[in-house]
Amino acid sequence: MNIELTAQQKALQQEVREYMKTVMTPELLEEIKIPEFKEGGGPEFRKQYARMGADGWIGLSWSKELGGRELSHVEQYIFTDEVVRSGFAYPFLTTESTTPVIAANANAEIREEVVGGVKQGKVVIAIGYSEPNAGTDLASLTTKAERDGDDWIINGQKMWTSLANYADYVWLAARTDPDETKKHKGLTMFLVPTNIEGFSLTPVHTLGVRTNATYYSDVRLPDKYRVGEVNAGWKLITGQLNIERLSLFTHGQVDSLYQGVCEWAAETAAPKGGKVIEQPWVQHNLATVKSGLEVVKLICWKQVWAMDQGPLNMADASVAKVYSSEFFVELYRLLLEVMGQAGTIATDSPGAVLRGKLEFRWRVGPVLTFGGGANEVQRDIIAMAGLWMPRTR
Amino acid sequence: MNFTISEEQQSAQQLAQQILSDFTEVDKLKAMEQQQQSFDADLWQALAKAGLLGLDIAEEQGGTGLGFSSLTTLCEEVGRTVAPVPVIPVLVSAAGTLRRFASDSQKDQWLPGVASGTTVIGAALEEYNNDDPTAPSCSAQKMEGGYAISGTKICVSAATSANRILLSAHTGDELIVALIDPRAAGITLNPQLVSTGETRHELVMAKVQVPTEDIVATGSEALAAMDWAHLATRTALAAMAVGLCDKMMRITGQYTSEREQFGRPIATFQAVSHRVADCYIDVECLRLVTQQAASLIDEGRPAKDAVQIAKIWCGNAAHRVSQAAQHCHGGTGVDRDYPLFRYCQWARQIELTSGSSAQITGELGQAICAEYLPKVG
Ligand SMILES: Cc1cc2nc3c(=O)[nH]c(=O)nc-3n(C[C@H](O)[C@H](O)[C@H](O)COP(=O)(O)OP(=O)(O)OC[C@H]3O[C@@H](n4cnc5c(N)ncnc54)[C@H](O)[C@@H]3O)c2cc1C
Repeated sequence: MNIELTAQQKALQQEVREYMKTVMTPELLEEIKIPEFKEGGGPEFRKQYARMGADGWIGLSWSKELGGRELSHVEQYIFTDEVVRSGFAYPFLTTESTTPVIAANANAEIREEVVGGVKQGKVVIAIGYSEPNAGTDLASLTTKAERDGDDWIINGQKMWTSLANYADYVWLAARTDPDETKKHKGLTMFLVPTNIEGFSLTPVHTLGVRTNATYYSDVRLPDKYRVGEVNAGWKLITGQLNIERLSLFTHGQVDSLYQGVCEWAAETAAPKGGKVIEQPWVQHNLATVKSGLEVVKLICWKQVWAMDQGPLNMADASVAKVYSSEFFVELYRLLLEVMGQAGTIATDSPGAVLRGKLEFRWRVGPVLTFGGGANEVQRDIIAMAGLWMPRTR
Repeated sequence: MNFTISEEQQSAQQLAQQILSDFTEVDKLKAMEQQQQSFDADLWQALAKAGLLGLDIAEEQGGTGLGFSSLTTLCEEVGRTVAPVPVIPVLVSAAGTLRRFASDSQKDQWLPGVASGTTVIGAALEEYNNDDPTAPSCSAQKMEGGYAISGTKICVSAATSANRILLSAHTGDELIVALIDPRAAGITLNPQLVSTGETRHELVMAKVQVPTEDIVATGSEALAAMDWAHLATRTALAAMAVGLCDKMMRITGQYTSEREQFGRPIATFQAVSHRVADCYIDVECLRLVTQQAASLIDEGRPAKDAVQIAKIWCGNAAHRVSQAAQHCHGGTGVDRDYPLFRYCQWARQIELTSGSSAQITGELGQAICAEYLPKVG
């Protein structure tokens, strides 16, 4: 057993870290202050995303056949960790979750169009799963697609379709078999170009980021945009969830917050003399953060190491999701407490600590525990898959 | 990066599992609990015969030299079976320290006997309100042919059966590490009943004379030895807690799947199953930080932070899993005729041994302060 990065892995980490500094241009730092562009989509974002494509940084994990480098999961994680740490709104769900599935299951023409476009940093794909009445119970979704000759007619509404406001496609889950007994077995996946007739959206402003409600009104979609077999969509949805989580709960993004607050506390004067970091209660919070953070690192490493050995154990994947999401929320609070009221000052206001990063993280924090597979469902999985306990009801 | 457990380590673990489960049937444990000292001498011999007492003793001294990580898997298995054998004080705190810091003649004198199970070397690292053996309040006075040691150590395991007990004391200028003979003049052993239900001892020393040949280290060497012993002991306790907590959680998973109330297994209530799932998360987190600490110690790399983090998790997980296990069992969880209570007793003991989570969180916080203050200058 050796729980450290190899020299080669450290070199990759360094290489990505240096490269990402060149991506986060002063123009981009300005652009992401605009709420609309915080999650990407602005002209400078587009420019840098395309540059990453041109420089060969997109799709490193893909097969050589698709133009990738077939990075191991460990290496892919190192890349992801550094990109997230840099703060760039890299569309991981596009590059790591949906594109490989599309490459494996789409028809040749669409595969060329989409996979090629993603590789060049020109295509972004939004995820259209959730609906007003289908959240955690995703398989109850009702947006329907009906066959009409060589086309499909799509009708329905999606909710929380993030990035749809600038994405090129929506990766859409639709019901193709209305038989109620076939809940999971009646779903099919489609790619819907966002410029197609009958597609529209309205913004949804959340506490943290902007997302969208998307509407599909008699959208006539050629069959070539169907991905995978008819009624075989559920597997394509669940197959990518673990990969999705690996980009959500990386170590670097929270480790850098911890380090930032430590530095701030070491240079900032405490009210009764000395520095903020010299106060026992501050040290207590920082140590609590550090001992929890160490586990985030180890969980991530163990998961990607295990994925390189074979399929991921279901209970372990759920442990990672529950632990990390709940710890992230706890970490935000513990670090905000250290800053006191200054922790409430938003990015661009005078006195903001760490450019208000933590103030913002607090606002997106609550999504972590119910999104990406609600923690209650993950705990159900842990009890069943990890301890052979009966299904709850 | 490699999380694989080596084949040698796996086979040592399996061997330990087999022997320990043979010796820890409930009736045997009960019989042992009736005795003055809860130390299963037959089991100790069986472990010796299988070569398991010498996992972290060099081949020259009759061990297998597999190393510290392997020894922590033995500790984990002892936790899993609540077997009454003093693996941590004898094999980790005492023998592990001797292997790394004693003179060749001391190693030859003591370690072969530890590996073969004929000699027991105990360890007394803690004092009242002080778990740090690098800063003892026990004092040592240099004298002709050795030292005279005075002071008190607490909760010493195997004190009445040990041939020697490893401990530290301070001369005023420097630290010394000594092996004392518990039968020597000036020693009083006062029985102390502790949470596990076993009798340990308060070791009171009044000018106990220790000959030079029993002085293991002095000065900076002694400091390094006690530093190592402290880190290794904390890590071994965390490993034992992995075994304990894993077993408590599995007992609870099974019990709640079978016990019915309101016409259904109580595990089908989400509130119950999620409490057990939380134990699973705690156990996995504790396992990861413990493996990290053990492998760093094994490789002789700096391990202080990793060990502090492991012991913080150890105390927190031991407390949470133990309470959850008992809660989900209802009355059965506190019944002395059901196996769970022993695990809970051990969990509390381990939590409060060699520094509690709150204390070590404080230590880690001070270290963070010391790391960052000069950085920003
Ligand atoms: C900012 C943001 C961005 C998002 N982006 C996208 C996106 O791009 N694409 C997309 O498809 N979706 C997206 N989502 C939707 C997200 O996946 C859902 O919010 C999530 O699946 C939860 O569904 P819900 O909001 O309907 O909550 P509900 O499912 O109604 O859950 C409400 C509560 O009930 C609990 N609960 C549910 N089921 C159980 C159960 N079986 N046992 C116990 N408790 C249960 C949940 O844990 C939660 O606490 C986004 C959401 C947000 C807020």
